Amino acid sequence: MATRFFAALAVVTALVAITSQVPAAGQSSTGATPGAATFQPKRTAWGDPDLSGYWLPGGGGMMEAPAGQPFKSTIDPGTNSAFADFFAPEPGARTAPAGPRTPPRPMIVEPADGRVPLQPWAMDKRTEIVAHQDTVEFLDPRVRCLQAGVPRANLPVGYNTYQFLQIPGYVILLYEWNHMTRYIPLDNRPHVSSKIRLPMGDSRGRWEGNTLVVDVTNFDDRTWVVGHGAPPEGAPASSLTTGHGVFHTEALHVVERFTLIDANTIRYEATVEDPNVFTRPWKIQFNAFTRAPADHQLFEYACHEGNSRNIKLLTGFDIDKGTSVPSARKD
Amino acid sequence: MRACFARPIFFACGIAAALLCGGAPLRAQLPAAAGRPYTGPRTPDGKPNLSGIWQSMNSAHWDLEPHSADEGVPAGLGVVEGDTIPYQPWAADKKKEHYANRATQDPINKCYLPGVPRITYVPFPFQIAQTPKHVAIAYEYLHAQRIIFTDGSPHAPPNDFWMGDSRGRWEKDTLVVDVTHFNDQTWFDMAGNFHSDALHAVERYTPIETGQVMQYEVTIEDPKVFTRPWKISMPLYRRAESNMQLLDYDCVDFFWRRMKSSR
Repeated sequence: MATRFFAALAVVTALVAITSQVPAAGQSSTGATPGAATFQPKRTAWGDPDLSGYWLPGGGGMMEAPAGQPFKSTIDPGTNSAFADFFAPEPGARTAPAGPRTPPRPMIVEPADGRVPLQPWAMDKRTEIVAHQDTVEFLDPRVRCLQAGVPRANLPVGYNTYQFLQIPGYVILLYEWNHMTRYIPLDNRPHVSSKIRLPMGDSRGRWEGNTLVVDVTNFDDRTWVVGHGAPPEGAPASSLTTGHGVFHTEALHVVERFTLIDANTIRYEATVEDPNVFTRPWKIQFNAFTRAPADHQLFEYACHEGNSRNIKLLTGFDIDKGTSVPSARKD
Repeated sequence: MRACFARPIFFACGIAAALLCGGAPLRAQLPAAAGRPYTGPRTPDGKPNLSGIWQSMNSAHWDLEPHSADEGVPAGLGVVEGDTIPYQPWAADKKKEHYANRATQDPINKCYLPGVPRITYVPFPFQIAQTPKHVAIAYEYLHAQRIIFTDGSPHAPPNDFWMGDSRGRWEKDTLVVDVTHFNDQTWFDMAGNFHSDALHAVERYTPIETGQVMQYEVTIEDPKVFTRPWKISMPLYRRAESNMQLLDYDCVDFFWRRMKSSR
């Protein structure tokens, strides 16, 4: 009963916060951060803005404006993200606090056309990637249970929630999906050697006012930059609004900004640069994190351990049988 | 002498029975300072501050029991109290079968999560973040993650987790973690030591003196596989490099690099 009471209280609190603090969040297309300038977050014992707690995915709308003829999905004709209603509560179920609605615009706020500014060759490669999702070479790294990379890790997908912890000198982001963890040091140490490549990159954080700014480098080239939900099968790359197939090189450089815009909402921005792939830096912005009910917790998401059927389908290799994993590709 | 019967290295029983199967072999795994009170830094709520990067340094990853060297396998004094894991007879046979087929059957060779306590002594560092209500551990190996609740909350409803469900409490300066709800898919080491889904592990993390070392002890209970509860024990060491940070060993990525499409 107590739990239910507090959940209900949280919903009321969230609604009050939404109506009073961020009236313009849904309409903004300028990249400004409504509410951020005025909201004063709770602080940790050592004085940093307090981002800690459990969080649910926030918005689930379009990543990008479609470049070609809009593709009509039978599942989700609105956004083809196949995610928007994933966290919609079942009737009568205890619900999460309602977060601000997804802005009615693509998450890409720069450039203004809401599209990933791919170089022509990269646009061709994206088309090839999206058309060959039945091959190991091109299949969505997330479907192969590789780590999501950044900023993709912060985009809404099913079965993913978050726990943020803070200790002096660190912000720690725990992701439920595929048990990813990011330790973000705040002590101005330099990035690791450029010889070291990491799927989730090398994160260095600092506070700018109430905003956590994270500089991420040293990526490998095995992840996708964005891509959330699941794209409808057969959709051509040009009509996707989900960000799938947007690849990058080791030159990827991401600057993230996490800002509490009210007690229950973290606005997320990421500026993405990779001169090998994009014509210019581009920026996504959306309310990525909505505070979860007080009794929320993360559960183990053992991705690869449950992926044997996909592995068999794709490669013919039966990992369950205990036969030897091939030691080298036989090209 | 009971412990000798399941020993894989038979000569040891005959020649050095008194030395290996008697007395107090566990003492060998304790650091010299074990038992000395903790004098290191504390969190504002008065607990020893375990936050930081740690790593084991022994050969438990290859075999918990004392063992000779083999190709690619360093010899080891063993970390099991009494030297020998008290298997039920059927389980001792099963362990031998695992050992014979370890190259293909060890779940770690499929890039599966190693379970607890194995994740602690795979030869990779791990990082602890200690807050009043949670002790989170991020492991470099396979980006494994554990969130140990220290808020007094009970275990989650039964489930079959690879890494179990961890609930911790402080007993003086020792972090005691009760871990349940395991599946039966993980092993304890590369020698094929194993458990069932009835595994119940109780870990004890006890920092010593200035907190550069902590003693790690695990009581392992599994009535389906063992004749009695048994213990492992080893020191864990703080990584002292000034620029130390966790990197990433994503085994699943290496797995996929070896695969190719079947069509």
